[in-house]
Amino acid sequence: MLSGVTILCFAASYAVTLVLEVSRLLFRSGVRGALMLGFAGAGLLAHSAFLYYRAVENPGSPLSSERDWYLLAAWALVGVYLYLVYYFPRAAFGLFLLPIVLGLIGAAVLWADPQPYAREPASVVWGTIHGISILLAVVAAAIAFAAGLMYLSQAYRLKHKRLPRPGLRLPSLEWLQRINARAVVVAVLTLGVGVLSGMILNRLRQGPAGETVPWCDPLVLSTQAMFLWLLAALVLAKISNHVRAGRKVVYLTVASFVFLIVALGAGLFLNTEHGGSRRQDEQEGTASNQLQYKLDAQASGSFLKNTSSQAELAGAPLPARGGPA
Amino acid sequence: MNIQVVGCSHHKTPIAVRERLAFSPEQTVAAMERWRASYPGVEAVVLSTCNRVEIYLAGDEAAAPKRSRVVDFLAQSHGLDPPTIDRHLFHHCGPDAVEHLFTVSSSLDSMVLGEPQILAQVKQAYQLATEQQMAGPVTHSLFQAAVKVARRVATETAIHQRRVSIPSVAVADFAQQIFERFDDKHTVVVGAGKMAEETLRYLRNEGAHQITVVNRSIERATELAQRWHGRPVAWDQLREALATADLVISTTGAGEPIVTLADFLSIERTRKPGLLFILDLAVPRDFDAAVGQRPDVYLYSIDDLQDACRRNRQQRDKELPAARAIIEQETGCFMAEMNHRATGPIIRRLKQGWQKPKEDELQRLLAKLPELDDRQREEIRRSFDRLLAKLLHPPMASLRDESHNGTPSALVEALSRLFQLKE
Repeated sequence: MLSGVTILCFAASYAVTLVLEVSRLLFRSGVRGALMLGFAGAGLLAHSAFLYYRAVENPGSPLSSERDWYLLAAWALVGVYLYLVYYFPRAAFGLFLLPIVLGLIGAAVLWADPQPYAREPASVVWGTIHGISILLAVVAAAIAFAAGLMYLSQAYRLKHKRLPRPGLRLPSLEWLQRINARAVVVAVLTLGVGVLSGMILNRLRQGPAGETVPWCDPLVLSTQAMFLWLLAALVLAKISNHVRAGRKVVYLTVASFVFLIVALGAGLFLNTEHGGSRRQDEQEGTASNQLQYKLDAQASGSFLKNTSSQAELAGAPLPARGGPA
Repeated sequence: MNIQVVGCSHHKTPIAVRERLAFSPEQTVAAMERWRASYPGVEAVVLSTCNRVEIYLAGDEAAAPKRSRVVDFLAQSHGLDPPTIDRHLFHHCGPDAVEHLFTVSSSLDSMVLGEPQILAQVKQAYQLATEQQMAGPVTHSLFQAAVKVARRVATETAIHQRRVSIPSVAVADFAQQIFERFDDKHTVVVGAGKMAEETLRYLRNEGAHQITVVNRSIERATELAQRWHGRPVAWDQLREALATADLVISTTGAGEPIVTLADFLSIERTRKPGLLFILDLAVPRDFDAAVGQRPDVYLYSIDDLQDACRRNRQQRDKELPAARAIIEQETGCFMAEMNHRATGPIIRRLKQGWQKPKEDELQRLLAKLPELDDRQREEIRRSFDRLLAKLLHPPMASLRDESHNGTPSALVEALSRLFQLKE
């Protein structure tokens, strides 16, 4: 029944939820909370169905391509959002989390490559670990960033002795600081696993036919920089007894989002070796890849990647592109 | 159907009179028993709080007691002379009484507008009347509607979110936005002012129990600490107390700041990491304003809080028309429902009056058509029912429409005469 779901379905649901969140600032309503839960829930259901059918139709999905990876990260963030809205209905989490969700979906639709990653038998397990751990790290870093932004907004209001706006209720500073710190721990651990599994993956690919990712690859460098930055934030929080340690961690976390954007941007826009032998396949424009690409484009909705689809239908070779860190 | 309320409130009645008219729960039970003996069939609910004493009555028009009887009853309940209390009491009837209860339950008639306790008190009054079997169909509907209206006002307006007392603003609008919980927080009270005690009351309600009282007079510190199950500390240990504090409430009468920026910087070096909420309620201020510029320190002076209270009051006043509109709308709906309910007997008689001819005609027709099978008989029966429903619809719709303008007595009378409906 839900096999016809497109990205537009759940993206529109999330966009309506965000509009409802913004409307909190303008007027009060007794039914808005239920509507928000309804739209976000319906969006998550459609999103889950979309990923499920992708997994059923394409081996390796929903982590088989860059686009799937972005959509899965957005799915996880919506799950977190729904949990928070259910337990803290008066807090405006959506204003901070939903733009990130829509940003991830937008990146998936506009720039992320729908082509599947190269799947070598020896690296399937490590590749999966690498993909999942980096995905979790991105979700945790996004939560830490949102919590950090909320913290700074709340702290600014309290410092300036302003009363809370009825539509912009935020959790307490103490709660936000705790969530921020925990999200940083999760981000560091999962990012550590991701970097380590990436190194193992690279090692496995070494050989005459294997294609490794160089250390100076922009995606690898930006991911490692983000890891070190978050690690520094974590170490600072653990070793510092200074009264401002918590606040400094918040600042570092918010800044770490820049690293996250750089890492994701490097994967989307820079000439990176990350993604394995897929790049070579793309350049060769093999028939199997062309077919897979068509299937992916159809499954993802006809409004996606018009220019790429047109080029593909014309038989032109697909552009080289790297995968996510 | 008659609904009325007789009572007094903080608006016009001095506390000296209100406290003489107030009912304890035991007195309420006794009064209800006397009421039932004197006015059987008249529903009654007694609402007695520190700001109001009101008795809500409902019953048939014929059985409704006059105002003077209710005043006599209230006076006798407290051994008072009726004329002495009569001038302090108000009396509302019909829609005015309903609107009054809705206004009270929504906390628009309270001394502190938007305070949440009144709804609980209204519910308790109704519950007590129900337990004493003094509530009936009308008061059940009335008080359930009052609770619904209060919830609507709370949901659809921001009146209840706008606090206007300094301690409530300090705790709800600021302290609770800084700390998630208070049971693991250390509260230090510097001085022993009344406002500090009032703020402590709010903090205790939120779970704060680690309280340290610092005062120049250790006797006064001990006295206050005992009242709040806290720990008294000598004045010379103020710095140590501040180094471990999460919340500070300061209300000394010192002529100059007791904590300068330099003092605070040296305290800060020994402080545990974390947020610090300082409520400086003293005039002149106890804390140097520059302390509030330190990271993770949230310092509020009495002026800051008064300003917040003033802004809250302004915002709340803006919400009043919306709240009043809800009450007006709900009062109209409730009265229409009550008036419509009053036409229930005539509608029932009308339906019963037409039911017999329908059944007679149906039996006659079916007797003449013995060849019909069960399905056809059932179809004819349904057709008759539909016809009857269509014939009854216009008079019932007219009764319902007329109910919006009051009890449709004239229409009821006309229907009774037209269709010869007897009791």
